[in-house]
Amino acid sequence: MKSILTAAAVALGLAQPLAAQDFPTGPVTIIVPYSPSGNTDVFTRHLAPYLEEKWGQPIVIDNRPGGGSMVGTAIVAQAEPDGHTLLVTTSAFVTAPAIQTSLPFDSREAFVPVANVGHVSYVLVTNGDSGFDTLEDFIVQSKDAPKFAATAGLGTTTHFAIEKFIADSGADVDVVHFKGGGPAVVSILSKETDIYGSSISSAGENLKTGKVKALAVLGNERIDALPDVPSTGELGFPDLEIKQWVGMFAPAGTDPAIVAKINADVNEVLQTPEFIATVTPLDWTLFQSTPEGFAQQIDEELTKWKALAVSQGISK
Amino acid sequence: MDFFSNIGLGFSVALSLTNIFYCFLGALLGTLVGVIPGLGVLAAISMLFPLTFHLEPTTALIMLAGIWYGTTYGGSTASILLNLPGTPANAVTCLDGYPMAKQGRGGVALFMTTVASFFGASFGIILLTLFTPVIAEYALQFGSAEYFALMLMGLVAASTISEGSAIKGLAMVVLGIIIGLVGMDTQSATIRFSFGILGLLEGVSLIALAMGVFGVAEIIMSVRRVKTADVDPESLKLKAIKPSRDEVRRSWFPMLRGASMGSFFGTLPGTGPSIAAFLSYAIEKRISRTPERFGKGAIEGIMAPEAANNAADQTAFIPTLSLGVPGSATMALMLGVLMIHGVAPGPNLISSQPELFWGLIMSFWVGNLILLLLNIPLIGVWVRMLTIPYHILFPAVLAFICIGAFTSGFSPLNVWMVFAFGVLGYLMRVFRFPGAPLLLGFVLGPLMEEHFRRAMVLSRGDFMTFFERPISATIMALTGLVLIWGVVSAERSRKRQLLSEGEVDHTPEATDRPT
Repeated sequence: MKSILTAAAVALGLAQPLAAQDFPTGPVTIIVPYSPSGNTDVFTRHLAPYLEEKWGQPIVIDNRPGGGSMVGTAIVAQAEPDGHTLLVTTSAFVTAPAIQTSLPFDSREAFVPVANVGHVSYVLVTNGDSGFDTLEDFIVQSKDAPKFAATAGLGTTTHFAIEKFIADSGADVDVVHFKGGGPAVVSILSKETDIYGSSISSAGENLKTGKVKALAVLGNERIDALPDVPSTGELGFPDLEIKQWVGMFAPAGTDPAIVAKINADVNEVLQTPEFIATVTPLDWTLFQSTPEGFAQQIDEELTKWKALAVSQGISK
Repeated sequence: MDFFSNIGLGFSVALSLTNIFYCFLGALLGTLVGVIPGLGVLAAISMLFPLTFHLEPTTALIMLAGIWYGTTYGGSTASILLNLPGTPANAVTCLDGYPMAKQGRGGVALFMTTVASFFGASFGIILLTLFTPVIAEYALQFGSAEYFALMLMGLVAASTISEGSAIKGLAMVVLGIIIGLVGMDTQSATIRFSFGILGLLEGVSLIALAMGVFGVAEIIMSVRRVKTADVDPESLKLKAIKPSRDEVRRSWFPMLRGASMGSFFGTLPGTGPSIAAFLSYAIEKRISRTPERFGKGAIEGIMAPEAANNAADQTAFIPTLSLGVPGSATMALMLGVLMIHGVAPGPNLISSQPELFWGLIMSFWVGNLILLLLNIPLIGVWVRMLTIPYHILFPAVLAFICIGAFTSGFSPLNVWMVFAFGVLGYLMRVFRFPGAPLLLGFVLGPLMEEHFRRAMVLSRGDFMTFFERPISATIMALTGLVLIWGVVSAERSRKRQLLSEGEVDHTPEATDRPT
């Protein structure tokens, strides 16, 4: 069956440039594998009206949360590869498969990466009254009395970020999983756990009021939102360049011309001053990407996180 | 003084024409969503969420909040009249509400639950107004060990919900827990009992389970009996909704206890109105001197849970607004509305956005008043629903159930699940297995496991953590007491039964026994 479809796709190849020009010929569904109101959903909902205007077709945002984003992702893996069903998801796309080995699709084979739209940075935070003020303090103290790290769930980027930190720093930390960023931040507030790799928006007001404090920004650069907080690169951990990115994907087999068109349109929106103004307060760093460059990034990250999962003993 | 100026500020926001309109719209939609079995509040709010892009954040929140507490008002209607829980939080209201309707007291039940709802909500709003900043702090004292202890107490207390055989009740709790295990384990990502179905990774939908076991099963039972509804025309008159003096007298304390329980559980993330309703029912039955009346139309059995779920609806806003920590998916949506408009939820919200905070809270009064005025005249209309011939009513209800199940996850799988649970529920009826413990086990089991596992990681495997932390230890001690009390009172009533089987009607114990 598959080969017939492939043959048909090849046969239709001649007509494809035209198809890309006409794209889209009907409403476009963007599947967001997270609940409405989350970071990714809000970003997509801000993006959609601009694409609607460009394409002259309505965009339906379909939230399919569950399975650490893998439920919605699987739906797109099985969708018609005509560009009318797209996926907007996070770096869970590359981290979750490192832990969930029985997924009904192959992350490399089933998708065409379209565009990496941007990322939010992670900040290692701790309770405002905790006994450590620097990351160094934390690492040293953890060796006397082991500490706890919170995550927003097994297989999420927050989980892998902390595992990578543990692997690189040698800190003695046990990982505790929570359901989402909200409960993880609460566990820091209530001192149930000691450290959490949080996005700025998750830590939110608690960071400003000093109820939680930032020890370091994950990455090699400081970020504008927290100019006084050192980056992990400065502190001697050059490999902790871990961001929660958001990217757009199409099902494998989508005409490369359509992929290129969507990529160009998305890139254009990301440069619109009006759009930049709406999402900047949400702590987004926007990107201009190519499908090829993004595909390479995905390939590398899938390998990297799988290796980490195996070496940390968290892979099934 | 500051307090009164805040209240004033709140009312000035809540009483603007736009906000009253959206509050009314929310309450009305909420009532409808509540009355239609299966269509849940989360689905309704998710669908309306994109609309809130175009509204002021305060107005948007006022409307969504109206839907949220409106469903709980409306939800009791279907529970009482059709034995179908309008929302999971109203499931327990079926137990005594439906028998009341069958006895021709449906109007009374609807009237009294509206009163209980309003009372519970008012209680919750007053607490919300007075204590939000204070209560936020105590929610932080609850770690995983405390939650586990609380859930354990819940299951122990609730094992008494079931009518009849304790063994059957317990069996249903366990079955509920097993069904609750379906899906991906949160600590190890192991997939359990999903039979390779991707849609089951998230577990079984609560809506599908509740609709199937309570709703579809009831319809199959009724169809099999082929009995048309005979509604006494008298019960349609407004007079018929007046409760007797005895019923009013019996209602006060259950309502007060329900409201207190609901207010407490509403503030704890992860519990919410459903659990509050179940527990307050269990407690009423426990402390009642005539527990045998429960399940047969006891007014206490509808007053306590309806006060509890409405109070919990209101106090659920406490952690959401004061800490920026949503206790449920619906509350997370509310926070999403704030985030879209660039308002950061968190401890600073009250001081940085006083119009929003106080305006929203004061709109709760407006909304609840609207609901009270909306619901009482509608009682006659709802009761008339029983005069609709079954061959029209049942297919219509089934259609709504299917729509509701589908929209709860936008997946056809849920519709199949409703069907499967309907069959299960029917078999349970035939063999007299109670449904409520099943639902409770299903809700509490996975939460209990999650908190237990987390508490174990945090204590590095030391079971004593549950007894060393003061709050957890207190709850554990209470659980022990409930257990002992349960055994003692069961023993006592067994003895009584043995005695009264003989010719010992004259013993003081037997005559003391209230009937």
